[in-house]
Amino acid sequence: MINCPKTKDQIKVTQINFKKELEAASKSMIMIHDPKLLIKLIIRMIVRKLGIKHAGMVIYEADQDAYVLGISRGEPGLKIPQGFTRFDKESPIIKFFVTKEYKALTVSRNAIVSDDINRLIWREGVLDKTGGNGIRKLLHDVDEQMRMLNTTACVPAYYRHKLLAILLLGEKNDGTKFEQDELDFFAALASDAAMAIRNAQLFKGLEAEALRNRQLFLRTILVLGSTIEAKDSYTRGHTERVTKYALAIAHQMKDNGSFEFDEQFFENLYIAGMLHDIGKIGVPEAILNKKGRLTVEEYETMKLHTTKGVDIVEPLKLPQVVLDGIKYHHETFIGSGYPQKLKAEQIPISAAIISVADCLDAMTTDRPYRRGLTKEEAIAEIKNNAGIQFRPDVVKAFIELCEKGIV
Amino acid sequence: MAKLLVVDDEQDIRDFAKSFFQKRNINVITASGGAEALELIEKEKPDLVLLDIHMEEMSGVEVLKQLRQNKNDIKVIMVTGVEEESIVNEANSWGIRGYIHKPLVLEELEKIVIGELGTKRS
Repeated sequence: MINCPKTKDQIKVTQINFKKELEAASKSMIMIHDPKLLIKLIIRMIVRKLGIKHAGMVIYEADQDAYVLGISRGEPGLKIPQGFTRFDKESPIIKFFVTKEYKALTVSRNAIVSDDINRLIWREGVLDKTGGNGIRKLLHDVDEQMRMLNTTACVPAYYRHKLLAILLLGEKNDGTKFEQDELDFFAALASDAAMAIRNAQLFKGLEAEALRNRQLFLRTILVLGSTIEAKDSYTRGHTERVTKYALAIAHQMKDNGSFEFDEQFFENLYIAGMLHDIGKIGVPEAILNKKGRLTVEEYETMKLHTTKGVDIVEPLKLPQVVLDGIKYHHETFIGSGYPQKLKAEQIPISAAIISVADCLDAMTTDRPYRRGLTKEEAIAEIKNNAGIQFRPDVVKAFIELCEKGIV
Repeated sequence: MAKLLVVDDEQDIRDFAKSFFQKRNINVITASGGAEALELIEKEKPDLVLLDIHMEEMSGVEVLKQLRQNKNDIKVIMVTGVEEESIVNEANSWGIRGYIHKPLVLEELEKIVIGELGTKRS
């Protein structure tokens, strides 16, 4: 067998197929949404396949407004512990990579390599007739900092000119210098990582905004639900109590296996509870606050609050569960309620639950024309009306709650 | 040669701190927990202790408390997480030379440790 000497390129190919590794990393980037996990994979690959003593990634952390060495791997003592060190904006390496005129020094190499630093210091000193103290001093500081970090090469990763991360690389196991194709490969990996970091940041921002919007929406519902209490002075706290009871009953129904409610249902039930009496805004105060029995006409006007409620919230385009809760919470199990005389299972479950919660609160609070019932009397009343006014499975859950002492 | 005891339950941190300070002519010994630290302080009499606040088996503050209750006034620098003012205050009340927040700036760590060890470094 002829032992023919390999060219440098051939040796490289047998060592590592950069293109293949890069493709693999890019694929992972699409699959993995957690940038830390992706960076972990990249760092592990670098250390293992490229034979580097240690590697780490410094990542910009917005909440600390600093760069933190988040992920590292390699030989004990050499690798910098994860989460242990941070680099402020004034830190030499950071300053070097974010300042336009300094950054330019690394463009051709895609990195700053310790072997280059002395040459750069000398060259800048010659080029800069004013003495070049600024850049020379900074280069010295960078050199010092890299020594402190046992780092031979630093590869920056930018997204739209913003420095997002720096890949720190220790010496190679075989002691050879970094080749340009290796540095280019690292730069491509680092930029993959930066892109993943950026995407994750954007996603986090969107999530935070969605959460803010949702909270704003729920608080608006709370405000809207409370407005009716300004008009109907005898029902202070009624909406919030009814909502609380309704949610407790629904949770009990889920626990005892009567219904498979999901999280969305509970949120909708909250909104329905808060808005169930919103239609009373359209009922004259004289009727709302009347001491004594309502006349037939007055009662008919009062009954309209269910349908008026649905009309008022129409522009909000609320889910059907919510609209049902508002519209049908005065229907009864035997079909004697309003506005549509729905019967039994025809009554949407959100409305059937609010109905029990509403009556409980109405019965136990004092009104100008009567004193409230005691808790025991109210419970007995609701129990007696199971299958008449109320849906039996809702009453069952309610009684269970009473037994547990929750209501 | 000045002797520094690094107390941290993370192996990586002990390894790194050891090689980091050894390069700066400091004799470094390490302990992975409070009990071991107390033993080493007694036996090896280090000049300074770099003490992590968060440790599984015994917290840094607990180690500090025991030292002071045993009338040991060894110099201690605490390593803390961010925003742990109440713990730092408690540590302060037992007497510490200073504290440093993790993630820390290496140059600051170097400065504070070397500042404390001063001329003892050869």
